[in-house]
Amino acid sequence: MAGTGKAHLRDSGSAVLRVEDLVIEFSLSGGVKVKAVSGISLDICEGETVAVVGESGCGKSTLAKGIMRLIDTKSGSVNLLDTDLAQLKGEDLRKIRPSMQMIFQDSISSLDPHMKVNELVEQPLKVWRRGDEFARRDKVKELLNSVGLDPDVVGERTPTEFSGGQCQRISIARALALEPKLLICDEPVSSLDVSIQAQILNILQDMKDRYGLSLLFISHDLSVVRSISDRIVVMYSGKICEVSTANALTEHPRHHYTHALISSVPIPDPTRKVVGALLQGEPPSPVNPPSGCRFRTRCPAATDLCAAEEPQLREITPGQFVACHHPRS
Amino acid sequence: MERKRTIGFYLATTWLALCAFMTVFGNMLPFRAYDDYDFDAIGVGLFSPHHILGTDFDGADMLAAIIHGTRMSMIISIVSVIGASLIGGALGILAAYRRGWVDAAISMYFNITLSIPTLILVLAMVAVFASPDPFDPSAGLPRSQVLVLSLTFVLIPVLGRLARSSALSWTGREFILVAQAMGLKRRQIMWTHLVPNVIPAMMSIGFLAAGIVIVVEGGLAILGVGTDPGQSWGSILAKNRGDLSIVPHTTLIPAACIALTVMSLNFFGDFFRSKIDGRESRI
Amino acid sequence: MSALFEISDLRISFETKRGQLHAVRGVSLDVGKGESVGIVGESGSGKTVMSRASMGLLRGKRVIRSGSVKLEGVELLTMADNEIREYWGTRIAMVFQDPMTALNPVRRIGAQMNESLIKRLGMSKSEATKRSLELLELVKLAEPASQIKKYPHQLSGGMRQRVMIAMAIACGPEILFADEPTTALDVTVQAQVLDLLEDLRKELDMAMVIVTHDLGVVAGHTDKIAVMYAGEVVEFAPTRELFANTKMPYTEALMKSIPRLDRQKEKRIPVIPGRPPDPTEHNPGCSFAPRCQYAQQKCRDEHPTLEDAGGGHMYRCFFPIGGR
Repeated sequence: MAGTGKAHLRDSGSAVLRVEDLVIEFSLSGGVKVKAVSGISLDICEGETVAVVGESGCGKSTLAKGIMRLIDTKSGSVNLLDTDLAQLKGEDLRKIRPSMQMIFQDSISSLDPHMKVNELVEQPLKVWRRGDEFARRDKVKELLNSVGLDPDVVGERTPTEFSGGQCQRISIARALALEPKLLICDEPVSSLDVSIQAQILNILQDMKDRYGLSLLFISHDLSVVRSISDRIVVMYSGKICEVSTANALTEHPRHHYTHALISSVPIPDPTRKVVGALLQGEPPSPVNPPSGCRFRTRCPAATDLCAAEEPQLREITPGQFVACHHPRS
Repeated sequence: MERKRTIGFYLATTWLALCAFMTVFGNMLPFRAYDDYDFDAIGVGLFSPHHILGTDFDGADMLAAIIHGTRMSMIISIVSVIGASLIGGALGILAAYRRGWVDAAISMYFNITLSIPTLILVLAMVAVFASPDPFDPSAGLPRSQVLVLSLTFVLIPVLGRLARSSALSWTGREFILVAQAMGLKRRQIMWTHLVPNVIPAMMSIGFLAAGIVIVVEGGLAILGVGTDPGQSWGSILAKNRGDLSIVPHTTLIPAACIALTVMSLNFFGDFFRSKIDGRESRI
Repeated sequence: MSALFEISDLRISFETKRGQLHAVRGVSLDVGKGESVGIVGESGSGKTVMSRASMGLLRGKRVIRSGSVKLEGVELLTMADNEIREYWGTRIAMVFQDPMTALNPVRRIGAQMNESLIKRLGMSKSEATKRSLELLELVKLAEPASQIKKYPHQLSGGMRQRVMIAMAIACGPEILFADEPTTALDVTVQAQVLDLLEDLRKELDMAMVIVTHDLGVVAGHTDKIAVMYAGEVVEFAPTRELFANTKMPYTEALMKSIPRLDRQKEKRIPVIPGRPPDPTEHNPGCSFAPRCQYAQQKCRDEHPTLEDAGGGHMYRCFFPIGGR
């Protein structure tokens, strides 16, 4: 089944990451196959932050793991700086790993509890033999400082002594040890306290500026995503509904799902009238999705066309792409 | 988060340290030799002159016998547990990390071995591999060696399954994904990340297993397939079993040693268990 | 007019290996009949401990409790275990964050719902089943007749939360405690559940206490808000007043550090530096002073008490924003 198209991809010259028609499938018990990601395409330019937003079950985490080749992909290409990762295997794949790194939602679980912080951050340098023992140690100190941790205080401790926010900082320091071109963040702040979230987001921003990183930011929280990203991709049930710049998306959402998503976010302002839930029901089961547009079962503007034909992404205003037969104006 | 070191802990440590000392230095102690039979004092009870723990019906001094027996009992249990931990642990971790057909094959091996009754297996191995005559090496391996091998073989699936389930609980954690994303090779991931985290769980069970092996060895001795009479606590017990009604101390003393050792090992195992639980509950 | 539910100077400490952990250090607030009060705080603020204790939970040996919690004038804190159990489910209801752990995974939904109706209200099985279906319709669960035969893991998070709410309101409680009721849910489902709670509250004239870290949730769904920090209430005001006229610097800093959809995108989000204080430590001054941008010497030496700014607005600060 085709995805929602590639109209939103920009010319491949300056792209750090370019994903085309990626399909990721799982086999459930009973031989049933489920497409978690159905033909997704996206690209990230150098120094850009692209966010993928969606609710649980939309496939965004699976997409991230597929891009990182931590799970197998069924078809499609994943081009990291002109190398198609989807075609690489074994040792070739291993060699490309330093160019892209990932941080996860559960920051405490991301750190091996029996290793010390210094060892954890040094590990990638050791594995890839970057510098001698002294150079590595200096780099570790530099990295810990850049994420706001004092190496003398934290260095010899184990992760179990730290909070979620501090563990996330350690994870970021470690991820950046090899100076990757792409950093994928899978819900990095969702488990953290509100005031800590802001700290981590600022650190990511700083790291981006300092190391010239490109960021792929996966989240379900639109407020967080808007504050940190340049471009937002909205996913629903394994497909892309809308791609746009961060401001345009939040101010003028064109897809009905995006609009519902934005309206559902509770705003900390009691003078605003509470819009209430625009969407009823649940997201469709990935085993048997609706024909045509997958969102049509919950969409206020659905017509017969929506059931018959799957909408493709098209540019509705400059820089704003939507996959809908009857987009909002 | 250390568990308070109770009096039990100190007693257990003392006893095990004593056993360790006897294992290494037992032969050099200035006691009469275990096979120096004192025909003037046959079957005397506790606190007899020259024989503080009495003698058995052959005239062998019980204290000397126990000290001599410590070595074999300890060696059999330690070697078999360590051997089984190494082999079982490696297989278990491999199965947990690789999954797929590797896991299926290893798990099948574990399950098959576990389904064979322990004693039957050991009896069979002794019958096949051991030399019936302790002084004729060409007829087979010495009985004690075969015992160690067969006990190791039996323990492998026990410790292996433990290692596998412990490793499985770790493979789901993000830091394994991170290691893959970092570009570590499979072997590096297993060695650097899984082994150190699985070892504490194995250690706590390992202590319990060591205790069980000592008891099993005693049972085998009673069946007649233990080490040669008098070489280990179990075989001392077996040798003197028949005289239980007349000179009970000759049976009860080795039994007490076995019991004390098993209890001490259990204490140690518990101690380790509480140490790990404390760590894992914080994660 | 005495409130339906009153908490006065509630103090909760735990005996731990590291010493006494002062989770709640003197909290006072009240909830009127049919009113909705939000309790906002981050982890370590003591909000969960406070809400659990005021429901009457936390009765273990290592819990040191003092103060008073009254439902319609009846003291709950010193009540015997068997007495307070009568209140749970009938007059005081609770909804927790993770419905998966609150529901019994090996029993069908219908059976679990019937159980409390049969035990509490003495209904027969057929009466209870009928009532359960009614309740599930009330919480807008789709196809209730087929859902009652299912097990909890067969339902989605949002559906499970609705079942929890149905079970909670089954006996028509006077007050409902919702501890992070929507944190584990998707945002669109969260909106549905919050709407539902609001409707139910109005229909059943039920008071509600929502404990959350999300300022957005409380902004739209509460009459009053209490902000907690380091075991104390640092600001307590009617909702609009709290946002329009924030007095406590922590509340202000918290509002500023949240990324918001309705504001212009900022390059750097203003953060609150540092971390919340360790609950085993006892600070002579204001607990927020080390992180407060307005802190002065007095803040570090003396502990501020709750002041009244009028109109039901209480705050705990020597130098509030906008003056006294």
